[in-house]
Amino acid sequence: MSELAPARIPRLAAGCRMTQSTDLGPVLLLPESMLRLTGPGPRIVELCDGARTLGDVIASLQSEFSGADPDMIQREVETFLLSLQERRALNFE
Amino acid sequence: MSFVPRALIAEVTHRCPLRCVYCSNPIEMRSRSDELTTAEWQRVFGEAAALGVLQLHLTGGEPLARPDTEQLVKAGRAAGLYVNLITSGIGLADARLEALVAAGLDHVQLSFQDAEQAQADEIAGTRAHAAKLDLAQRIRKHRVAFTMNIVVHRGNLGRLSQMIALAEALEVDKLEVANVQYYGWAFENRNRLLPTRDQVQETIAIVDAARERLKGRMRIDCVLPDYYARFPKPCMGGWGQGLMLIDPAGVVLPCHAARVIPGLTFDDIRSKPLRWIWEESVSFQRFRGDQWMQEPCRSCERKTRDFGGCRCQAYLYTGDADATDPVCSLAPKRDLIDAVIAQESAAPQWVYRINPSNTPAVVTEPRA
Repeated sequence: MSELAPARIPRLAAGCRMTQSTDLGPVLLLPESMLRLTGPGPRIVELCDGARTLGDVIASLQSEFSGADPDMIQREVETFLLSLQERRALNFE
Repeated sequence: MSFVPRALIAEVTHRCPLRCVYCSNPIEMRSRSDELTTAEWQRVFGEAAALGVLQLHLTGGEPLARPDTEQLVKAGRAAGLYVNLITSGIGLADARLEALVAAGLDHVQLSFQDAEQAQADEIAGTRAHAAKLDLAQRIRKHRVAFTMNIVVHRGNLGRLSQMIALAEALEVDKLEVANVQYYGWAFENRNRLLPTRDQVQETIAIVDAARERLKGRMRIDCVLPDYYARFPKPCMGGWGQGLMLIDPAGVVLPCHAARVIPGLTFDDIRSKPLRWIWEESVSFQRFRGDQWMQEPCRSCERKTRDFGGCRCQAYLYTGDADATDPVCSLAPKRDLIDAVIAQESAAPQWVYRINPSNTPAVVTEPRA
């Protein structure tokens, strides 16, 4: 099954979690590094709760941001999650 | 300009079952009776979080030498911090490992000395390698990020490929190939530890190839020896700019080695609020910005990137902590570093790290 198959479940890797910094806003904490989350980033990470499939995550965002192009939302989510996977911050289970 | 600390290195004890010849602890260590209590660390973690710190690195010595490491992990998490345990892993039984994970431990960084047992144990000055291999397999059973750290030097770089293979076999998330940094005990042993220029080139090639091969499976970080660099490292991201270290007795420092610099008084958390130390204390302000800089740093375009390099290294080599880091190719005293590189291995014996309860540094052979 391809990484981006809708049935895959994106889940933050062990030792990766989101927090709220008082001055930086939402931050993804990783082993010895951190990533500031902007725009829809924090919401996407929140939806990757280990229960929702990739299809669910994309569908949720498409309904939450119903004014935006659904295909564009799908592409943005996929690109973002692949970038997290490359940093070993996220797995497609 | 104001600076916000993001990481706190908590050296919770200087006690350690290992005696590594490149230990980054200062030669003059804190004894057990001086160590901060659980409650004091708990308070400090809260103060650090309020300052903007996000990540806590519990280290030592060996942080597991304290009986309250689980409570420290819990206190770090309660303060909202990401908790990393930097450990040799010696004596870490299953029950305690489980308790640490249950307390909220985010990340374990386990140190290795080599891929071969005999050579690893020679560096550690004790039998440690087999226990580390066993622990690595047990860590992998828990939901916690796992980094393997291997300190590399002239004596083990020939086995770098084996070390990478070991990291793969242990299925770690990240491998740190860290060349020795020449401070503390490592400075004493630098003649035997410093790799050759050829070894450094070979390291780069091996690491690049492994990164490509292992993409998406294992990350590899690599620290090269700055003695071979053209420009200095931005030590600690700049003095007092984003990171602080608190030693076992509660003294707050801008880096591991800062106590070697004479004439600076470092404040401690028993007598001053952490915020005051970070923002107001003389020692933390001493090398912030560029007003302290001499030439060629002061007019150098790189000063905002490398901050003149490392103040401790400048002092160790030139006797002047305001000098340009001597590793810089533009430094007036670069010849001091070149002389070290040119020297053949002169030291016949290792200087092993000693525990804080003992006093004078002595040259000894490893325990059998």
